[in-house]
Amino acid sequence: MTETFGRVMGSVLERLQEQVVALVPPTLAGAVILLVAYLLATSSRWLIIRVFKGLALDKFLRQSGLAFIIDPSGHLRAARAAAGAAYWGFVIAGILTALSVFNTQLTTQIVQGVIFLLPNLVLAGAILLAGTWLSQYLARSALVWAVNEGIPYPRRLAALVRVLLMFVAVVVAADQLNFARSVFLAAFIMIGGGLILTVSLAAGLGASRGFGRFLAGRQDHSNPVTPEHRNDDPPASLWSHI
Amino acid sequence: MRDEVVSPPGLSPEAWKASEYVRQADIVVGIPSYNNGRTIAHVVRAVHVGLAKYFPQLTAVIVNSDGGSTDRTREAVLSAHIDDPHLLLLSTPTTAAHRLSFPYHGIPGKGSAFRLVFEIAARLDARVCAVVDADLRSISPEWVDQLIRPILFAQYDLVTPFYQRHKYDGTITNNIVYPLTRSLYGVSVRQPIGGEFGLSNRLFRRFLERHDWETDVARYGIDIWMTTIAIAEGFRVCQSFLGAKLHDPKDPGASLSDMLKQVVGSVFALMLEYEDIWKARVSSTPTELFGFQFEVGVEPIPVRVDRMAGAFRQGYRDLEEIWPLALRPSTFAAMRALATSPDDSPLFFPDPLWVDVIFDFACAFKRQPVERGNLLSALAPLYLGRVASAVNEMEKLSAPEVETAIERLCVLFETAKPGLIAQWDDSQHEVQPATSHAVLAEKVGCHD
Repeated sequence: MTETFGRVMGSVLERLQEQVVALVPPTLAGAVILLVAYLLATSSRWLIIRVFKGLALDKFLRQSGLAFIIDPSGHLRAARAAAGAAYWGFVIAGILTALSVFNTQLTTQIVQGVIFLLPNLVLAGAILLAGTWLSQYLARSALVWAVNEGIPYPRRLAALVRVLLMFVAVVVAADQLNFARSVFLAAFIMIGGGLILTVSLAAGLGASRGFGRFLAGRQDHSNPVTPEHRNDDPPASLWSHI
Repeated sequence: MRDEVVSPPGLSPEAWKASEYVRQADIVVGIPSYNNGRTIAHVVRAVHVGLAKYFPQLTAVIVNSDGGSTDRTREAVLSAHIDDPHLLLLSTPTTAAHRLSFPYHGIPGKGSAFRLVFEIAARLDARVCAVVDADLRSISPEWVDQLIRPILFAQYDLVTPFYQRHKYDGTITNNIVYPLTRSLYGVSVRQPIGGEFGLSNRLFRRFLERHDWETDVARYGIDIWMTTIAIAEGFRVCQSFLGAKLHDPKDPGASLSDMLKQVVGSVFALMLEYEDIWKARVSSTPTELFGFQFEVGVEPIPVRVDRMAGAFRQGYRDLEEIWPLALRPSTFAAMRALATSPDDSPLFFPDPLWVDVIFDFACAFKRQPVERGNLLSALAPLYLGRVASAVNEMEKLSAPEVETAIERLCVLFETAKPGLIAQWDDSQHEVQPATSHAVLAEKVGCHD
């Protein structure tokens, strides 16, 4: 009994020792790699902030509106954004390199997965960014238009536009990443149908306005101006003073 | 082989051929129109009589530039009866002015219509070009004289109108365009977007050289665009007294908030272009005013103060995410206090706060925290609030007292200009206020 226990314990300790012997060097190597990556990331961030400070990129980001999308407070600076990107680039590269040191099936799969997914991830990120910009722009357009035209619930309308466009961006990004394609596609078709209906309604409303102008023109033509007619003018619009 | 007609942009082959036929004219009077069938014949008659009576020795052409009217406007121009000798009170026969009517091409709007008129005037090498609105009911032959004579005989380049208007009329002019243009460029032109102008040959040729015709200039931005360029580039500018301006109500189908957007957008765009010029100018000088001034009756303008104030308050609730991007925190806080005041109390939008709003929007136009079109549209509820307040304040004031109030606003704009320049130059979002409301009010004796 004791002998069996000792044998089992011995084999366990032996396996443990083997694993420790096998894992410690790569762990140490991975830690060193991570440390180096961290140092590189920190120093590159420091360097970029100082080198790019005050460059025209800030002006471009501000004027294009990108600065306010990434950072709604409006305090985004190009140097900080570039430095942040470099920092996280080094950190992620360090993590992947550190993982590859272990050379196991799992770590190899993770590293390969990330590397193969990276271009798609970047593209999906760009799609999401563009979608965010477009949704923000069109939602604001819808908001100010609805406010100025006295359309009820302008904020809800703007939110609807924003959600719809963001949803479209997410669908396209998910498609790019091969993620839940059929679910998103079905939802997209449903939303698309709704959009077509909305556009049709908008076109109808626009046409009714044009028709109103046409009728007003006809009425003006058939009624020459007289003092009596002046008194019969419709009540003042919100802008009669302009 | 068929002759190819290569016409300049803005001038259709039809207009080109007609100007070939006329060949030369001393005076061109342009009348832009869109569905003005019931008033344009009167305008054409007044212009014709004015030309015959005051400039009988000069050749003249009346050009109607139409935006596709469906109410037979063009036919009204060409068929207006002008052969009644009683109109002229002259014993000697006079030569009738040519009358041309063309549809303009390009972006629909007043600016595109003007472009066609200027192209024809340049083609005819006219010494002077005048433009008058087609919806005028108060135009008289004397207007033609007043708009043209300073250019022909006093070497001015731009004649702007000087009207008597109802105290509630011309609110964009009184609250934004006049004080802002005056404070920026240091020249006091009372009606910079009046609609009636006289232009010298070198000025309309200068306009035609420019490449921004496809912007808001093609629409309602044209008037302030012309005035600003003339002032900023050192052309000689004067004003002519025309009496009262009575005109048809604006097209009820048109979105007049777009008009505000186009006019203010043009002012701000020109601020970017002429930055070095307006920054260097301090205070303002009056502009020469021609014509015998007299008192005239003006038509009351119906306004809906409650609806305007409501639009302002609703605008605050709905545009809460946009206004803070354009306004500095101090301005936005003051705005919030105003917008959240009880609905049943009359709205009073203090002058210094209005100055800050306009200057903040001008700087935001440069900075672009929001796309420019949306930014300008977001100004509309603020503007309505300001107009509601102005109507409340002016209700019991006489016309001279209203002018005094507008003058005080202009001085406020001028006093706050150094703050505008500081804010304009500062790339940071948060800067010191252009004006401290209390200090500024004290400086100009305004107590809100």
